[in-house]
Amino acid sequence: MNVYAPLWCKSGFSFLEGASHPEELIEAAAQHGIEALALTDRDGVYGAVEAHVKSREMGVKLILGSEVSIDDGSTLILLAASRCGYGNLCTLITAGRRRSEKGQSRVGWREVYEHAQDVIALWGGDRSLLVGEADPFFVAHGLKEAFGDRLYALAARHRRAEEVRQEARLRQRAAKWGIPVVAGHEVLYHKPARRELQDVLTAIRQRVKLVDAGKLLKPNDEHALKPPHAFARLFEDDGAAVARTLEIASRCSFSLAEIRYRYPSEKLPSGTTSARWLHELTLRGARERYGGTVSSEATAQLERELDLIEELDYCGYFLTMWEIVGFCRERGILCQGRGSAANSAVCYCLGITAVDPVALGLLFERFLSRERAEPPDIDLDIEHDRREEVIQWVYVKYGRSHAAMVANVIRYRSRSAVRDVGKALGLSETTLDRVSKLLSAYGDVDPAAFAQAGLDPEHPVHRHVLRLASEVLDFPRHLSIHPGGFLLGHEPVATLVPIENASMPERTVIQWDKDSLEELGLFKVDLLGLGALNQLHKGFELLEKHFGKRCTLATIPKDDPATYDMICRADTVGVFQIESRAQMAMLPRLKPRTYYDLVIEVSIVRPGPITGGMVHPYLRRRAGLEPVVYPHACLEPVLAKTLGVPLFQEQVIRLAMVAANYTPGEADQLRRDMAAWRKSGRIERHHERLVRRMTEKGIAPEFAERVFEQIRGFGEYGFPESHAASFALIAYATAWMRRHHPAVFTCSLLNAQPMGFYSAATIVEDAKRHGVAVLSVDVLRSEWDCTLEGATSTGPNGTSGRSSRGGGTQLRDDAVAALDHGAAKLRTATAADSPASNSTSTLALRMGLRYVKGLGEGDWKKIEAARRAKPFASVEDLVVRTRLDEGAVARLAEAGALSGLEPSRRGALWAAKGAARAARPPMALEREEAKPEFDGLDAFETIGWDYRTTGHSPRGHPLAPLRERLRARRLPDARSVASGSHGRRIHYAGLVICRQRPGTASGVVFMTLEDETGFVNVVVWSRVYEEYRVLVKTSSFLGVTGKLQVQDGVVHLVAEKFWPPRDLLAPAEVESRDFH
Amino acid sequence: MDRMACVDLPAFPLQLLLRRHPEWSVHPAAVVESDRPQGVVLWTNERARESGIRAGMRYAAGLSLAPGLRAATVPENEIRDEIASITERLRQFTPHVEPAWYKNPPPGASPPDPATRGRRRPFPRPASPSGSSDSLLGEPGVFWLDARGLERLFGSLDEWAACVQADLVRAGYRATLVLGFSRFGTYALARSRRGVHVLGSPAGESDAARAVPLDRLALPPPAREALTKLGVTTVGRFLDLPADGIGARFGPEVRQLHRLASGDLAIPLQPERPDVPALRRLVLDHAEDDAGRIVSRIETLLEPFLEEISRKARLLAELQVGFRFERMGDHLESIRPAAPTLDAKLLLELIRLRLEAVRRLPDGVVEIVLVAREVEATPRDRELFAERKRRDLEVANRALARVRAQLGDEAVARVQLRDGHLPEARFAWEPLVSLGEARPRPVDEARLVRRIHTRPVPLPPRERHEPDGWMLRGLEQGPVVRVLGPYVLSGGWWNRPVHRDYHFAETKDGELLWVYYDRSRRRWFLQGRVE
Repeated sequence: MNVYAPLWCKSGFSFLEGASHPEELIEAAAQHGIEALALTDRDGVYGAVEAHVKSREMGVKLILGSEVSIDDGSTLILLAASRCGYGNLCTLITAGRRRSEKGQSRVGWREVYEHAQDVIALWGGDRSLLVGEADPFFVAHGLKEAFGDRLYALAARHRRAEEVRQEARLRQRAAKWGIPVVAGHEVLYHKPARRELQDVLTAIRQRVKLVDAGKLLKPNDEHALKPPHAFARLFEDDGAAVARTLEIASRCSFSLAEIRYRYPSEKLPSGTTSARWLHELTLRGARERYGGTVSSEATAQLERELDLIEELDYCGYFLTMWEIVGFCRERGILCQGRGSAANSAVCYCLGITAVDPVALGLLFERFLSRERAEPPDIDLDIEHDRREEVIQWVYVKYGRSHAAMVANVIRYRSRSAVRDVGKALGLSETTLDRVSKLLSAYGDVDPAAFAQAGLDPEHPVHRHVLRLASEVLDFPRHLSIHPGGFLLGHEPVATLVPIENASMPERTVIQWDKDSLEELGLFKVDLLGLGALNQLHKGFELLEKHFGKRCTLATIPKDDPATYDMICRADTVGVFQIESRAQMAMLPRLKPRTYYDLVIEVSIVRPGPITGGMVHPYLRRRAGLEPVVYPHACLEPVLAKTLGVPLFQEQVIRLAMVAANYTPGEADQLRRDMAAWRKSGRIERHHERLVRRMTEKGIAPEFAERVFEQIRGFGEYGFPESHAASFALIAYATAWMRRHHPAVFTCSLLNAQPMGFYSAATIVEDAKRHGVAVLSVDVLRSEWDCTLEGATSTGPNGTSGRSSRGGGTQLRDDAVAALDHGAAKLRTATAADSPASNSTSTLALRMGLRYVKGLGEGDWKKIEAARRAKPFASVEDLVVRTRLDEGAVARLAEAGALSGLEPSRRGALWAAKGAARAARPPMALEREEAKPEFDGLDAFETIGWDYRTTGHSPRGHPLAPLRERLRARRLPDARSVASGSHGRRIHYAGLVICRQRPGTASGVVFMTLEDETGFVNVVVWSRVYEEYRVLVKTSSFLGVTGKLQVQDGVVHLVAEKFWPPRDLLAPAEVESRDFH
Repeated sequence: MDRMACVDLPAFPLQLLLRRHPEWSVHPAAVVESDRPQGVVLWTNERARESGIRAGMRYAAGLSLAPGLRAATVPENEIRDEIASITERLRQFTPHVEPAWYKNPPPGASPPDPATRGRRRPFPRPASPSGSSDSLLGEPGVFWLDARGLERLFGSLDEWAACVQADLVRAGYRATLVLGFSRFGTYALARSRRGVHVLGSPAGESDAARAVPLDRLALPPPAREALTKLGVTTVGRFLDLPADGIGARFGPEVRQLHRLASGDLAIPLQPERPDVPALRRLVLDHAEDDAGRIVSRIETLLEPFLEEISRKARLLAELQVGFRFERMGDHLESIRPAAPTLDAKLLLELIRLRLEAVRRLPDGVVEIVLVAREVEATPRDRELFAERKRRDLEVANRALARVRAQLGDEAVARVQLRDGHLPEARFAWEPLVSLGEARPRPVDEARLVRRIHTRPVPLPPRERHEPDGWMLRGLEQGPVVRVLGPYVLSGGWWNRPVHRDYHFAETKDGELLWVYYDRSRRRWFLQGRVE
């Protein structure tokens, strides 16, 4: 029996207020036989889409509304009666949100009146003016005038004694002003058991402990969704007010399904349509791309794509992307489409992507299909440093009202849940930190972690924490911003969904995330930042400046054998996508010789193929060690490109369709479930179906199981072919630059930091090993960024023979010089195949002042201005003219950047401190201060100081001074290790530059150790890791004993034990890049 | 030559923490600056250091090295109290003890300089008690002791030093004691050694001090880091630097340390003088049980007692009167005047009121002791010109003091409103020290008053059949004729769950009762009455 409709329900999307998910409220309503329910989250419609989807499924009518905060501190509940009313509600919330700081909203009464059309107002609740002591005469008059018969007085009952008097006032005033009374109660959770969680959320929101929360908590558990009979009993004295809830529900006819989204139309040349304009642009682009003669295959593909785009009315979207790319080109910003857009020939011809899908045989349907009927998704990579320019251009072009960024809802995970819930329950923060560190980031709240942290899981407080932290998992905590997603609309976006301020300045964000947009079929434009493009841009600029070469991604020589030789040697430090330890280990096995090999290389070292056990079969088949066979004849077209082994996401989906007879709908669901990264259970539901159907088709069960394993792996992380193809292009470009212009490559890579896999120290050491002369930071010569200098008489490390000030020479300790000599010999050996002898060898890399830790860009500007006026004469002169503070000038001294002014670093430091602290420059007649004698730095200390202050050393590797001692202890260098034989037991000591513990490796830790001759890759089994955990995690200089594993030219040292090389002086601290 | 000793209780806050949590000594443990993951680790135990945890790290960083890292803060007042207690302890061995302790709150600790990682970061340094220039030597847990002439009491100074150190060890502390000749020399050596060391000559002390690593001293971290970078790592190398250059680069504090270390500056011992309250004692010739006569005896003590307080320019805030009974042992009464005073007459009247209640005491008093709690006297001239209000608060406070004197301290209390839902959680009783000016809130309309029972009164269970209605209060009030409710109060689930259904019940004779049904106890209670 339809008795009432709850009209005031707040879900978890009221952020730390409601204690149920929108879906739970809808489900509970359906269970109670409630036919309509209003979702009225505080100042927002964040949960509207989730509720909408569930309500369709459960057959409950969803009314959308919001509890709006007024600037006088009161509240008003508004419900959308129609599409127009919904637009008004969103616009009103936008006004309140945009003027307030993040997380807040305040609207004025006048604004409420202005947005009253087709909106129903419920005036009541203990924060409303209608129940307050003061008579809200003027507000009542304004509301009555604006809303007319759509204004109701909400008599809210929660079995609180105070409400009796409040309701008496409400009824008296409602009668006076002729406002009908409607019954209601504030629903904060779908069942009474959630009351405890609501208390905890309140305590978290109010930042108090539960014991101190007092009246901030609700006094009872009367905020659960009531079954109809309970609600009727609560208002048994006023049946008419209960019946009025149904009357209101019937007046609200709006559903999110009504949203008709129109993509913004571009300005078109007169007399043309967007379809015709897109057609013309595409053909124009095709002629450029294919050099005037477009093949029939490409033409047919383009026609097919354009027809479908026009049929689905997506022309505007493509034109927008074309405009954005055009803007980037115009401004010289490197950009490139990634992801499934690379499957589209139209995108290729419009210049959005750089991969020819026709040549590569990429599947357009992966990008766009009539059956899927969902909007295309084009992700555009933009060089990192300049992405904000593009974002702000989009805001300007479309206006803040028509463009806003997509939100990212941050939800509770096990660690944050334990921290927040435990804090509310009064546990100390350090204790909670201890527990949460023992929990897995995405798993459940495991009681074992409490026990491991020394806490009794059975203690009543800990039991509460365990239970409530588990309950709060997946609850929204706050709103964040998507990395680059934009929603653009022909109509103002604020009529679709409220817009609010993000925490980043100049950013506005909608209240829905990408899943919600996808659910409603709205278009998203993704503008993502990519450091590698940034690096390439900087590199191209350097090539033009120093060599007069104008290069672009499209013009660099293709299929360059020398570049592929370098890649095959795994000599790829700093090369996009193929620089990681795992990629380097794969390169000598896969031996890429073509662009498509690189596409495979990029894709193969991913959890999908690895956990699916596809890597080794592929390598064996590629090497001709096993025949290329297909589990079923029908799979040959799907798997031919990859020798019968599925490596790409598209192949897995097509495999499901071909081998397991998945319908397009099922296949699409599989794709979505694979994309729902780490959301447990979604992929598992395909297991039985896939394996059974494949087996029925005659495919071996083992293969079927392996395919499923791979699907599961793709659920973790896997690449579509098109995505890999886009990335492989950039990988090739960076590799080409590294091979032919190592100085340019290193300089651009250092200037694009932070990015990639390696620290500046490793990049610099690698560059030195490849014959690049690296010059240290020098306040007399360095710019802010690293630069290339024409070499005069470049020494082994680029530090000798260079004038530093007026013909003076830069100080170099004898010990450092000796090191340089050794390193020079080494380089002679390693650089035989390097391009150091070509044009680049005349250029030396001067490190920029940006590498002096703690020196800001503001400091650099002062130095630059003073230096431009006249060269610095002394440390004191520098301090007086730049007015740098003591810290900055001391850091310059320690980094050796003042060595042109004061040869001794310690002397420079003493002088710098004295000059910076002096109230005024010394008078000429003043007695000169006594200059104390300081010990000089030895080679080891010199390098140590370099590392401490700049994170690298152009003067030498930290282990070089120790080499004789290492050799005396029969510890080999990395080069000797690399030439060792399989099974040989060795001892080695090196600097840890990387530690990795991939989730797919069953606890195995991969480490990279480095010395002045190269890298040693160490494999640490979990048993060994546990035994030496502290040492492995904390030591930057580490000794390891183990056996060499040599396979296909790839050498690994399998660790048996670790030891601290204590008897050797500790080398400089090297920053390790750890990824866990 | 004068002899002085320096006692150092290394990592003193950590020692306190491990006394509080002895079970933590088998785990990595640390004192943190604040109880949050980003709290800076200040002190670590051996196990924590074995795991690579160093002072200056964030707690979260330490935790990544040792998942079982226990940590807590040690509040400043705890350190202060413990230092006071150790100071008292040390006074057993010498009358002159100078603790390096806090007078002012320590400044907020700044985030650690990455350059200081791996080094011990000194606890935020206090101002020295005297505000003198030796504040650089002022880490908690450092004490200077005057050792002059003590060899006569202890046989030798070696013996004395061993006794002091042994006493501290017995009390559960790790302690180093260096007996020498100068403030700096003993301090520097105490910070770098363990156990007991007795130095033979000033020259020997000076030579030994030169070898002390500089990082053992409580130098400001930036100065210490900079000196280390300059290769100045020992006291000797520090002393080789030009004094003016030091001052110009590291500030006057470090310059002063340089002077102290070089002997240019000698700061004599500044022992803390114990604050001994005024005390008078009277032993009676025979046991006295007559209250009147006892008051007379107290009167004879009071005059010189108050004079002594007056000489210290103080006032008496509280008078403690101790009685030693012949058989019943000791008993202490506390008398608080309305305001700090030296008025003997007033005090005597309050004492009389307190003792008036019993004309004859239960046992004979054989000794009377008066002890004062004193406060600094403040000028009250302003009050002479102040306009007298119609309501004289001073008189009221005097009256309340008399009530307290007569009926005990708990007799005067007031209600403080609290922010709770349950009736008993909406207020709390607190002692009323002095009456303030009343600020009544204007009331628009007359409201009913709810009087509640101190403890809810259990009501008899309701009968299944109530032919005459619900007889809440027995027959005389008649049955309940109207009930409003229920109004539900529930909560406290994290500690003691409560669920009450409140009702207002009107009886036939017009009484309005406030009752509730306690769901967990399954019975009715009378909370109060509405008037």
